[in-house]
Amino acid sequence: MILMRAELINPFLGASFKVLKSLGNEHVKKGELGLASSPVKGDEVNATVGVTGDLLGQVIFCMSQQTASQVASTMLLGLPITTFDELAKSAICEFSNIVTGNAVTELGDKGFFCNLTPPTLFVGKDVLLSTKDLGFLVIPLETGFGDIKVYIALREADK
Amino acid sequence: MRTIKTTNLVPGMVLGQDVLFPRTGATLVSAGTKLTFDLIRRIESFGIREVIIMQSGKTQQEAKEEELLPVFTEYHDRVITTANEIFTNSEQQPVQARVVKNLVSELLEQVELDSDLMLNLTHLKSYDDYLFSHCVNVSILSILIGEALGYPKEELNLIGTAALVHDLGMMKVPNKIWKKNGVLDAEEVNLIKNHPLYGVEMLKDFPEEILSIVKEHHEKYDGSGYPQGLKGEEIAFKARIVGLADVYDACISNRPYRPRLTPQQALQIIFQDKEKYDPHILKAFISVMAIYPIGSLVKLNTGEIAKVIRVNKNQPFRPVIKVLFDRNGNKLDEPLRINLDDDRNNVIHIKDNLSAEESNAIMQQLNEEPGVAEQL
Repeated sequence: MILMRAELINPFLGASFKVLKSLGNEHVKKGELGLASSPVKGDEVNATVGVTGDLLGQVIFCMSQQTASQVASTMLLGLPITTFDELAKSAICEFSNIVTGNAVTELGDKGFFCNLTPPTLFVGKDVLLSTKDLGFLVIPLETGFGDIKVYIALREADK
Repeated sequence: MRTIKTTNLVPGMVLGQDVLFPRTGATLVSAGTKLTFDLIRRIESFGIREVIIMQSGKTQQEAKEEELLPVFTEYHDRVITTANEIFTNSEQQPVQARVVKNLVSELLEQVELDSDLMLNLTHLKSYDDYLFSHCVNVSILSILIGEALGYPKEELNLIGTAALVHDLGMMKVPNKIWKKNGVLDAEEVNLIKNHPLYGVEMLKDFPEEILSIVKEHHEKYDGSGYPQGLKGEEIAFKARIVGLADVYDACISNRPYRPRLTPQQALQIIFQDKEKYDPHILKAFISVMAIYPIGSLVKLNTGEIAKVIRVNKNQPFRPVIKVLFDRNGNKLDEPLRINLDDDRNNVIHIKDNLSAEESNAIMQQLNEEPGVAEQL
């Protein structure tokens, strides 16, 4: 049963906006939040962060390689990114880590204490993402770097 | 073991005693647990005010570093003193290639043993005679960039040697000019802009490739450098390496006309003008220095203030840090080492670099206690 309560999803929205703003993206547009049933189509670059603790699941950030290169370049102080190499990948991993970390910290204020597993990056074409609970919450974002989709598959841990 | 307020807990501290649920007495977190940020907040959420933690013991790694640091420091001082002698006597006794090469061989060995320790040393002290420590630092940095670019040992020695003597020509520029605190007039600027050429004159004994590096270390990739205004591929590749290392070290050093910049400010200055540098070398530079270079003072998203002490390869955002102040601004009796690349620390990230003023204030505070600044 995936998480759908607004109060638990909003921290992810807020964190995305905040981090993108810190990367110079003042006007990020949020598309319509929706539910997508598993499997969903990923993009060329997909960064997964695992969540453990009071909430369990994954947060996945999907974007084109071009968008990822721009995000990475901005995080790397403007270094031109010509190939999507280990350095660029580490930047995207950190991006997803920071967004998820900020969201999860805010969730702590609401009494959900969570930790994160290290990000994993999947790069490829025609990637399909599946989750055990058969569905994702989708947050589509339109940024100055390009489109970024945030897929959230989280549920409350059994107490 | 000691008691600590839960609000002062830092991730990485280890519980000395079980923490119990206040109402039932059941165990919330067991003794011996290394606290993660979410555990700290969970403990706090139950209104628990104090816990007992174990004194942080030294890991083997830390013990080894503590042993090595005085050795490296002494060695670093010795290299600078030797450079001082070589440069100062260069009028009477021409600098010999063989002598410098041997010095650089030793430097290479130290860098190979522990490059982080060496990089850390390039920060610590503010030497009165900037020129000599500068040349050693640029040598260390150039060697590291060269290593990241895949050069073998022989080439690294060549790069390091060129870097060590790159500013020899400054010996021909009167002291009062390059120690001047104000704006330089046209004649003074001209003298300084010729120092690469003076250097070449003074290094007659040296191989051609080294001379080209000395001559071109102030050329810029976009053609805006001196003395010749060479552009792009016209500049010797290794000269581009030394040129970048030169700029970085100049930024993080105290100068007569401005105090030192933070490593982050230095990086920003370099990247603001990135057209002046070869992008391949910039990339190698970032892979060596990372986004938070060794010596940076940073603030974590969890609130603590820490110093970057080691860079994790391929993880420019996840260095090894030493926490100096907890999230309430209290100075830790014993700085706590956290490896941000460790799986358990994923929820922690570096939020910000401290500004130059904040950094200097903290450095001052730490320097007041002898021995602390010398630590990694």
